Amino acid sequence: MKNKTLKSFLLLAATFALSIVFFTLQSFRSENKSVLDNTISDFSLKNVDEKTISLSDYKNAKGFIIVFTCNHCPFAKLYSQRFNDLNTKYSSLGVPLLAINSMDTAMYEDESFINMKNKSTTEIFNFPYLCDNMQTVGKNFGVDHTPHAYVIWKENNKWKIKYSGAIDDNGEEPKKATPYVANAVTELLENKQVSMPVTVSVGCKIFFRK
Amino acid sequence: MQKTIFFLSLVFGSILCKAQYNNLWIPDTLSGTNFNLNLVDTFAQLRPGNQTITAGVNNKFWGPTLIFNQGDTVHMNVQNNLNDSTTVHWHGMHLPAVMDGGPHQIIPPGTIWQPYWKVTNNAATYWYHPHLHNMTMEHLTKGLGGFIIVRDPIESTLALPRTYGVDDFPIVLTSRGYDAMNQFTITNNINISEYGDYMLTNGTPNAQVSLPKQYVRLRILNAEIERGYNLGFSDNRTFYIITNDGGLLNAPVAVTRVKLMVGERIEILVDLSTNNVGDTLNLKAFNSALPFGFPGAEPQQSGLNGSLLNNHDFTVLHINIAATTATPVTTMPATLASNTYWTAANATVNRTITVTPGSGIGLAEFAFDNTPFSLNTINKTVNINTIEEWTIVNSNIFSHAFHIHDVQFKIVARNGNASGVGNYESGWKDDVYLPKGESVSFVTKFEDYSDSIHPFMYHCHFSNHEDGGMMGQFVVVAGNTTGIEEATQTPKDFSVYPNPANNKLYISFDDPNMQAYYIKINNAVGRTIYMLPQPQLRNGIDISNFSSGIYYLQLTDEKTKSTITKTFIKE
Repeated sequence: MKNKTLKSFLLLAATFALSIVFFTLQSFRSENKSVLDNTISDFSLKNVDEKTISLSDYKNAKGFIIVFTCNHCPFAKLYSQRFNDLNTKYSSLGVPLLAINSMDTAMYEDESFINMKNKSTTEIFNFPYLCDNMQTVGKNFGVDHTPHAYVIWKENNKWKIKYSGAIDDNGEEPKKATPYVANAVTELLENKQVSMPVTVSVGCKIFFRK
Repeated sequence: MQKTIFFLSLVFGSILCKAQYNNLWIPDTLSGTNFNLNLVDTFAQLRPGNQTITAGVNNKFWGPTLIFNQGDTVHMNVQNNLNDSTTVHWHGMHLPAVMDGGPHQIIPPGTIWQPYWKVTNNAATYWYHPHLHNMTMEHLTKGLGGFIIVRDPIESTLALPRTYGVDDFPIVLTSRGYDAMNQFTITNNINISEYGDYMLTNGTPNAQVSLPKQYVRLRILNAEIERGYNLGFSDNRTFYIITNDGGLLNAPVAVTRVKLMVGERIEILVDLSTNNVGDTLNLKAFNSALPFGFPGAEPQQSGLNGSLLNNHDFTVLHINIAATTATPVTTMPATLASNTYWTAANATVNRTITVTPGSGIGLAEFAFDNTPFSLNTINKTVNINTIEEWTIVNSNIFSHAFHIHDVQFKIVARNGNASGVGNYESGWKDDVYLPKGESVSFVTKFEDYSDSIHPFMYHCHFSNHEDGGMMGQFVVVAGNTTGIEEATQTPKDFSVYPNPANNKLYISFDDPNMQAYYIKINNAVGRTIYMLPQPQLRNGIDISNFSSGIYYLQLTDEKTKSTITKTFIKE
């Protein structure tokens, strides 16, 4: 009797253990790429308009504002208008904005490509919203939150991270915020060093599949 | 010079007098028998400047107060919309282990968990909170949790204040530390203090509330990570404890101070009729000059185990006395209930659990009986309907709060002496202060629910200690009734219909005596949509919200605990 009960218990226990292992794997996080180890290789990701986009498609770009965002994160949602504003202001100056969703679409249905399309349409995104469903680009950047911004700049035909961190320091009250990303891009356009190259971003954790 | 000092003192005095209080947030109530709880990632404005990333239940921080009536069967519809797995434990509730929401009941992101149970608890204040092993501190810190108020016929006939938000208030005490970006500092990191620096009362910083000039009932919960509260009023007035964790005391107990440890609840009556409208009063933590071992009595203000609130007296709620309501409670009942408690003499099984050091790695500072928690180890097996006496011995270096799931207990001795038990803790309890160098003995009966698979937990309610492995698990077994015959039976088959299905999915068992112990429904990519413990299947399973596609229904049979999977199509 005991053996049988034990057996079924072990089976269930094993299931529990497996789920624990699985969920621990969920919380795997790569190291955030520092500004020193800062070369980003080109990538190709599908945009919400079904077209694939690469950095190399932008022949005249001096740099990019890369924002990692997603569909569900309430804190990221606060920034849609600011993303549009940044893109409007800086794409004409050779620094377009690309948004990337690196959330685990297998685990989290809200983050599906169809929901990305809906979000882009509803919120009238004026920038590409790219689906990183394999999470490779997110891992390459070492991003761990949404929203998180990088400013990358072309140096000797390589893309170098010049800024990594928050968009600004106030999600709900943009008028009170210090615009970190805008400041960094302005400095780079003036051929200056970025005075605050790293800030801490806050928001929703990105869980990477292993 | 004197003029300047006078002027400065006037300025500072007026700043002190007009301290920036915020109105206490009172959680909404949900009542009935069906409860929708939506766990969400969110943020809250807790400090000037950037918002703090939080999590909440139908809200920004903390959740709605659930009102249960004793005798009702309550159905919970818990939807995890966090992008992280978690669990929801119904603290203090007597229910089947598979509904309990302990570390085994993991709800993945996007999944709906539907436990249900018959409310048999006495009228008192309970709560719900996350309980995912290794993650409890982090999820609790973010703000997941809420009150449960149980009403019953005995309490209802008493002339007690019970108008929620008018003369009956839920007060949840906790504190948080913040980093430069206004984010909570408490994480599962041994190097960051487990103590917060700033009070959050009902999630409100510097909370104030207007209370009417009459008897007022406060239902106070310590939902801290680790801090204890030595509560009292700023004018040292007497107040009356009317409940412990699991029910009314036999009579109100008059005190001027009471220690409330993590996880514990008390309901108090305070007489404000002698005050004038416009008077102010503070509910305070008198946490200075307490002996080492009381959590929060440490001297350090920063660094490891440090906090600005440590070893300080501080206000937890600023009270403004307002006009008497139309129907005030003006007297206090002399007696409340006539509880029949088990005594040590009733116990047929005695167990001793000893606090020991943990491995010392990470959060693992403490353990029970040198056995750190393991999800796959059952530490105790209890026969159903047994009355047991448990003695928890703490000859270790710090104090703790011992909590047990499933049952309410009666404290029968402290340090082996019945006379060591305070009147203020003489009622039904599920959580008890275990001071450094002391022992606590309690008696309880394990009734109604047996399950040889799913365990209940006992643990230190300091979530850093719990996450660090100061936890054990016990199963309640039904004696000889589950045995060879049942375990050796081959599981019977079942079918799902209609297939394809549209709104409802029904299950037909080949053997009419077969019951489902657990059902999980997964979609084609393996994402769990539904977790249904011991589902009631007569009315089918509602799948109307599913998007069309292929789904897998995994049914674990009650008797054999074997799992069979069926495929169905949602049109």
